[in-house]
Amino acid sequence: MKKSFVLLLSLFLLSSIMLAGCGKAANEGAPATNGEQPATNDKPSEPKASEEPFEITIRHTQVGESKKFRLALLEDVVKKTQEAVPGLKIKLDAVDSEVNRKEKLRGEMAAGKPPEIFDVFGSPDAALYAKEGLMLDLTPILEELGLKDKFTTLAPFTHDGKIYGLPIGGSIEGFFYNKAYFEEKGLKVPATLDELEKLAETIKADGKIPFAQSSKDAWIPLMTTNNLWSYYGGPEITYGFKTGETKWTDENMVKAVAKHQEWVQKGYYKKGELGFEYADMRNQIITGEAIMMMDGSWANSVFRDPAQAGDTVGKIGFFNMPPLKAGDPVVVMQDANNGYGFSSAVAEDPRKLQAVKEFIKFMWTEEMQLRGLKEDGVLPAMKMDLEQMKTTSDDPLMQDIFKAVSEIGTSFPAFDALVQAEVNTALSMGIQQIIGGEIDPVKMLENVQAAQDAANAAEPQ
Amino acid sequence: MRALKKIVPHIFLMGYLLIILYPFLFVLFSSVKTNNQDIAANPFGLPGSITFDNYVNAWVNAKINTYFFNSLYIGVVSACLSILFAAMLAFAVTRMRYNRISAALFQLILLGMLIPNNSLLLPIYGVMRKLHILDTHMALILPYIANAIPFSVIILAAFMRSLPGEIEEAAVIDGLGSAGLFAKVIIPLTVPAIVTVFIINFLGNWNEFLLANYFLSSDELRTLPVGMVGFRDAYNTNYAQMSAGIVFSVLPVMIIYAILQEKIIEGVTAGSVKG
Amino acid sequence: MNKALRNPLIYGLFVLPAFVLFLAFFVYPILSAMNNSFTSWNGISKNITYIGFDNYLTAFQDAAFWKSVRNNVYFILFSCLIQVPLIVIFSLLIANVKRLKGLYKTAVFMPSIMSTAVIGILWGFIYNPDFGLANEILGVFGLPQVYWLSDKNWAMLSILITNAWQWTGFYIVMVLAAIISIPKELDEAAAIDGATGFQRATRITIPLVMPIISVVIMLSMAGAMKAADIVLVMTKGGPAGSTDVMATYMIRYAITSFRHGFGNSIAVLIFVFTIVLTALYQFFVARRTERIEY
Repeated sequence: MKKSFVLLLSLFLLSSIMLAGCGKAANEGAPATNGEQPATNDKPSEPKASEEPFEITIRHTQVGESKKFRLALLEDVVKKTQEAVPGLKIKLDAVDSEVNRKEKLRGEMAAGKPPEIFDVFGSPDAALYAKEGLMLDLTPILEELGLKDKFTTLAPFTHDGKIYGLPIGGSIEGFFYNKAYFEEKGLKVPATLDELEKLAETIKADGKIPFAQSSKDAWIPLMTTNNLWSYYGGPEITYGFKTGETKWTDENMVKAVAKHQEWVQKGYYKKGELGFEYADMRNQIITGEAIMMMDGSWANSVFRDPAQAGDTVGKIGFFNMPPLKAGDPVVVMQDANNGYGFSSAVAEDPRKLQAVKEFIKFMWTEEMQLRGLKEDGVLPAMKMDLEQMKTTSDDPLMQDIFKAVSEIGTSFPAFDALVQAEVNTALSMGIQQIIGGEIDPVKMLENVQAAQDAANAAEPQ
Repeated sequence: MRALKKIVPHIFLMGYLLIILYPFLFVLFSSVKTNNQDIAANPFGLPGSITFDNYVNAWVNAKINTYFFNSLYIGVVSACLSILFAAMLAFAVTRMRYNRISAALFQLILLGMLIPNNSLLLPIYGVMRKLHILDTHMALILPYIANAIPFSVIILAAFMRSLPGEIEEAAVIDGLGSAGLFAKVIIPLTVPAIVTVFIINFLGNWNEFLLANYFLSSDELRTLPVGMVGFRDAYNTNYAQMSAGIVFSVLPVMIIYAILQEKIIEGVTAGSVKG
Repeated sequence: MNKALRNPLIYGLFVLPAFVLFLAFFVYPILSAMNNSFTSWNGISKNITYIGFDNYLTAFQDAAFWKSVRNNVYFILFSCLIQVPLIVIFSLLIANVKRLKGLYKTAVFMPSIMSTAVIGILWGFIYNPDFGLANEILGVFGLPQVYWLSDKNWAMLSILITNAWQWTGFYIVMVLAAIISIPKELDEAAAIDGATGFQRATRITIPLVMPIISVVIMLSMAGAMKAADIVLVMTKGGPAGSTDVMATYMIRYAITSFRHGFGNSIAVLIFVFTIVLTALYQFFVARRTERIEY
């Protein structure tokens, strides 16, 4: 009897020790940062000559085939950083971009425990995290490294005059198209929106799908809508939603959304695309099923990789969405909103801070930016001469993209950088309803405006 | 007429079987086809030429082995501990003489059945943060154990209540105390119910996606469901390779199931009859 | 004897681990959710403002919330009205065949051992509009293509079918076990009295296995209220929120939109609705079938 009791008791103890032990194990990294940033650089990172191994984590979103070059680039930087900082071990943590942005990182921020280095959207995400003191103020580091004025824009990552993140690259959004098909049918790159519609009509009559689109994730169709409304309502209109100066229900907004819906109803998109994943629309272009596709310039890496694009490599071109009237300025979404941020907890550990500094030093160099451009087709986020870019990549698709950049009359940041997250949620819901044909543009925009009003009211301006 | 009567149920059952097995076959066939076009051209038939490249690629790309062992380890440990804890509680509540407290405890635990605790993701996330165990396996094991407790207690308590009182009287006369009674008498008698509870808990843990998706971020800690969805997101242009990945993720469970199926079904049977 | 079973120390030790876990993962979270549900907390900020019942009012006024409630109801109705009869019919069929019984019993259980995530992927293939099995079958009968997961009229049904595919076999095995445990003599006696197979099933077998069917219904209802995985994996609640259930609605609005307080109010509502539902079921249905032990 005694024996079995002892056995049982020890079993119980064992399990409770296990639980307790695990509770303790993770205790070390407790972040205890408050709103203020500790003045980090008065303490010159005194090298205690400690070679003791330590670890930092980099959350990146380079998942899958289409991002393998970006991953290779990151891995090189990681390697260099590890060599530069004794004892440092960098752990790479890959998460799908949407999941990271909308779920994972938000959860970690709520818990006050983001990874040391993480992929983050500039606006509005970074500002929100920075406001709560969760992000490391990079201003002193950038000054020290002489990087402060090297970027095209740091606006999306700037909050209260301090810089909290660095964009990894820039991008524009426009139409990829099947050049070979255009040539074969004698079609021309459109100069007006009307011409674009005529093109779509012609392509449809030929039995092909004019536009590839995958709307399971709403940001994809919203690229088109966003550009349309920036033509109809002017690119400034989006800035006014948050301040209340402009309304989503503006008649020009209605026109733009109605136009997108009209395209859906005319059958310019594949039926059932509301259930498709991002990759499906690229597949439609690759298989030749669809001819044009609104996407970010980042997608060029797919069409330049034989492993993914097969024999369509070299046959794909790029043009901006054309204006309403010929000769009007070309309005294009252009931003540098995607980049890396750093946990404010890093400031408490001089060695981690050192690691971050080295990471920045190796990541944001002209060499890396050009390499990103050459291998991966990512437009540089750092200031760079257009001519220099042109000579870096002689790929015809990249040349098309450079040409598109040079044609830009007015650029605008994507809408989600300018409105609150909950407005984005409402708009995402709305565009899917528009595509599904279950709502008319006026009603849809009223719903979005309601979300906008609620969000504005909740936020003391 | 008699023969017909015998055949009719089989027709229905075979139909049902086809619905169940077909998706498995589809995946199996697709996994040995060359590419999407191959699948689209002939979705249901056997492929013209068989290729195993997809398996090699999926194994390398999808890290199925890591995910599989994570899932297995987390699933088994959580299921075992939840049974141990639930059995202890069930024993105390049903066989020890503290009726008032026991009744109250039992009611409270019953209420737990109704708490939709995957909707309590956010506060549980908070608990995890306070314990500083986010991004460790403990962040799944603890909630998995806890999640399983109400259900396990209900089944085990029902079973223990139905055991005749004479057994323990005899045992106590033999000089066993409560703990000895629990370990030496009650537990062995409860084995059929324990098997059931184990299977149900294990399957629940094995399948769990929500917490696993939110509470772990390191790739090498991930469980199979999260790994598979990540794999889908990353390689969804390539159905053939995806199919190979699915085969990897399903095959081991199938084998375990084939070996243990008598026991598993017996377990579910024993449990359900007691209800 | 009494002494052996009345040891407060042992009682405490036995109760403690489960009880502590229960407090940490059920009681504390629900209390914390209740507390947060009265705030406008964004999930990150350190300033938390209490706003009374505003979150609940917002939810009640939001058509999308009621849509998600309706989808939970569909889940429940589909399980009770379609799945449960199928479960009973197939259990009876399997119980009464002589040959291949083992095969059937084993095969029906198979979908239940697969992870929901994998099932979501698998059924993604089946519902593929271009080459999916579902449309091929429709094609055989000359029916037009259906956009299963992208048409809001079909998406919910598609998810329900997949969910049923996954869990029907699990419940069949439970019911089957109960049927097999019925003493043979009862059935044989009825057969001698000239009762048909159908009569024996409806008059003898089904009433005898009613308690277990009741358990199956309870489990399905609890499962339906908690359902989230399958929806996330198959449609992410889309298109346009048409397949959102309460749990995915909560995720969409709470985590994705920085509205933590609001999300918590939805969690509380799920809890309250489940309690009400179970109470109603216990009151109206389960009481008559007494033999539910708890």
